Amino acid sequence: MTTEESPAAEDIIICRDVHKWFGSFHALRGITTSVSAGEVVVVIGPSGSGKSTFIRTINRLEHHQRGQIIVDGFEMTDDVRNIDAIRREVGMVFQSFNLFPHLTVMRNITLAPTKVRHTPMADAEDAAMELLERVGIPEQADKYPGELSGGQQQRVAIARALAMQPKIMLFDEPTSALDPEMIKEVLEVMQELAASQMTIVAVTHELGFAREVSDRIVMFDEGQIVEDLPPDDFFNNPRHERVRHFLSQIL
Amino acid sequence: MASASQVAEPVLPPRSEVGVAGWARENLFGSWYSGILTVVSAAAVVLAIWFGLRWTLMSANWDVVGIIGGRFIIGGYNTDQACPGNDCFWRPQAALLMVTALLGMLWVVAAGGVVKRVAIAAAAAAALSAFLPYSMERMGLDVRLLLLANVPALAIGWALARYTPLGTGRWVAVYGVVVFLLTIILLRGSSDISFAAGPLRLHIPMPDLLRPVPTLYWGGLTLNLLLAVAGIAMSLPLGIALALGRRSHLPVVKILCVIFIEVFRGVPLITILFMSQHLVPLAFPENFPRNSLFSAGVMITLFSSAYMAENIRGGLQSLHPGQAEAARALGLAGWQTTLFISLPQAVRNVIPTIVGQFISLFKDTSLVYIIGMVDIVEIGRTFILGNPEYRVSTKEVFIFISIVFWAFTYGMSYVSRQLERTLGVGER
Ligand SMILES: Nc1ncnc2c1ncn2[C@@H]1O[C@H](COP(=O)(O)OP(=O)(O)OP(=O)(O)O)[C@@H](O)[C@H]1O
Ligand SMILES: [Mg+2]
Repeated sequence: MTTEESPAAEDIIICRDVHKWFGSFHALRGITTSVSAGEVVVVIGPSGSGKSTFIRTINRLEHHQRGQIIVDGFEMTDDVRNIDAIRREVGMVFQSFNLFPHLTVMRNITLAPTKVRHTPMADAEDAAMELLERVGIPEQADKYPGELSGGQQQRVAIARALAMQPKIMLFDEPTSALDPEMIKEVLEVMQELAASQMTIVAVTHELGFAREVSDRIVMFDEGQIVEDLPPDDFFNNPRHERVRHFLSQIL
Repeated sequence: MASASQVAEPVLPPRSEVGVAGWARENLFGSWYSGILTVVSAAAVVLAIWFGLRWTLMSANWDVVGIIGGRFIIGGYNTDQACPGNDCFWRPQAALLMVTALLGMLWVVAAGGVVKRVAIAAAAAAALSAFLPYSMERMGLDVRLLLLANVPALAIGWALARYTPLGTGRWVAVYGVVVFLLTIILLRGSSDISFAAGPLRLHIPMPDLLRPVPTLYWGGLTLNLLLAVAGIAMSLPLGIALALGRRSHLPVVKILCVIFIEVFRGVPLITILFMSQHLVPLAFPENFPRNSLFSAGVMITLFSSAYMAENIRGGLQSLHPGQAEAARALGLAGWQTTLFISLPQAVRNVIPTIVGQFISLFKDTSLVYIIGMVDIVEIGRTFILGNPEYRVSTKEVFIFISIVFWAFTYGMSYVSRQLERTLGVGER
């Protein structure tokens, strides 16, 4: 798909030479890449290579110190209006779910639409119910997060992010905190999302998902992108020795 | 093929682990040292109860409590100096009726049986005291009827909340504030209001029943409760504001909050109260009436809110950073994240500490005796000092006062435990 350097018009995320330091530690060292609308990009790489840092800069949970990030036409600057506009377009799912434990599943999902988009409560609840059906747990609406299994919590977290009707979904290792049988139920939801033309950037070590669902696999190492290929090429003839080494370690 | 009924056959635990004997064997006599501890402490408890009961029933002379009587509740409010004519007793009683009605409303609004039990207990205690075996000269029919009226007051409050649109948390909160202000106005009373501006002349006569009673004479348990309620209601929001200020990114706000908190936590409340009459008026215009009750209330509130701020800050710090991140990622603004996500969880996590703070604030209200206010403890002390023939009954007086304090603080911690349970702290 779109892997050429010059960003095409439909590129919804554009990163140009993005740098990020934590104190004196150089965590992102010149990331240049772009994601077009409807594309599914899987990010892999060894621990500490900057994968989380990278996707967190896309909705400014981390701010970059050099380079340019443009999301859906908004450039990521210190301008609060831009940040708010971008966060409304970008949904995020975390490894540790981060559901709000003091609110019911229903309220977890309706909070942002009613407070940020000012959707009337009744409409927000109807939409939430539809989303819960989509992720397969409508019967859990009135429970609290602590009463659900990990897989169910993560599906609520996906529904919560989708309730803001984002154009882009970011996933940071959404299945690494889950037991094997629950991983499947979350991956199925992600697969269905990908099929619905959602733009997805997902950090995951689920290579099956990467092989079947993604359009591109991007590998990070020491704060840089070392490989960026469609899944077939990535697994069968990677250009870099480091990719082969990494694959041999996790396969 | 194993039949389902066979599998479902219940298996009982070993006999030794059930029943009273099983429980005692496991928990009281689990080992030789826990056996010894059990025997020794059981002996101590039995002895304490024996001597306690013997003293309470045989040697103690509770007459003195009856003699002080209503003074414990309202102090010198209805005395000749405060209220010539001694017809001001109905005002604190009317305030109590409003509070009882408020409890009736809370019973409906607050889910769970806690408030219901507290409301019934309060109304019952008030109504039952109408039957105290005083002579009719000492405790007139009017006083007794007003006390009995707490039962219908509870019912009216309940019905208002149940059958009218006033039964929402918001309206009850408004009514609560109104009750507090009305209580102050009612207790204070007023002389005739005269108003003249040019040709406009206004003269509103006040009935004798509402003659002013200087706050100097407000006393007894009423004084403790007024200070405690005002302090509790104000120190929670103030503490929250200070805690948020201390975490602010604006250096000026942060430094001011830190200074405030550290100063008030670093000085004993007694010292602050001593200074209150001189410091608080500085913050108000020259002609603002000087009032030691008001000054004391302000200082107790500020003192308590400094501690409250640190409790809340502890709650905020215990939150997983992922909570705020998830809220921000959803597009909630910073203040929305604080209001809807961080604060509710932080406050919920520290309910026991907050209630502990409320309890100590309530007990600390007795310290106002050092600026000449006569709270319930001071009532007891001055009575003993002024009536040497009752010096032998000092113990009884202070044990009675302790029981009153204990009843209120126990009520507070009971409500807090039930609140924690309904909010499911530690489970979710
Ligand atoms: N808030 C922070 N302060 C300081 N250093 C940080 C911070 N967050 C991340 N780092 C460092 O930045 C580097 C990249 O971290 P990042 O979390 O992006 O790695 P990752 O690729 O997601 O790793 P993992 O697979 O373990 O999640 C790591 O060396 C990490 O220690
Ligand atoms: Mg990571």
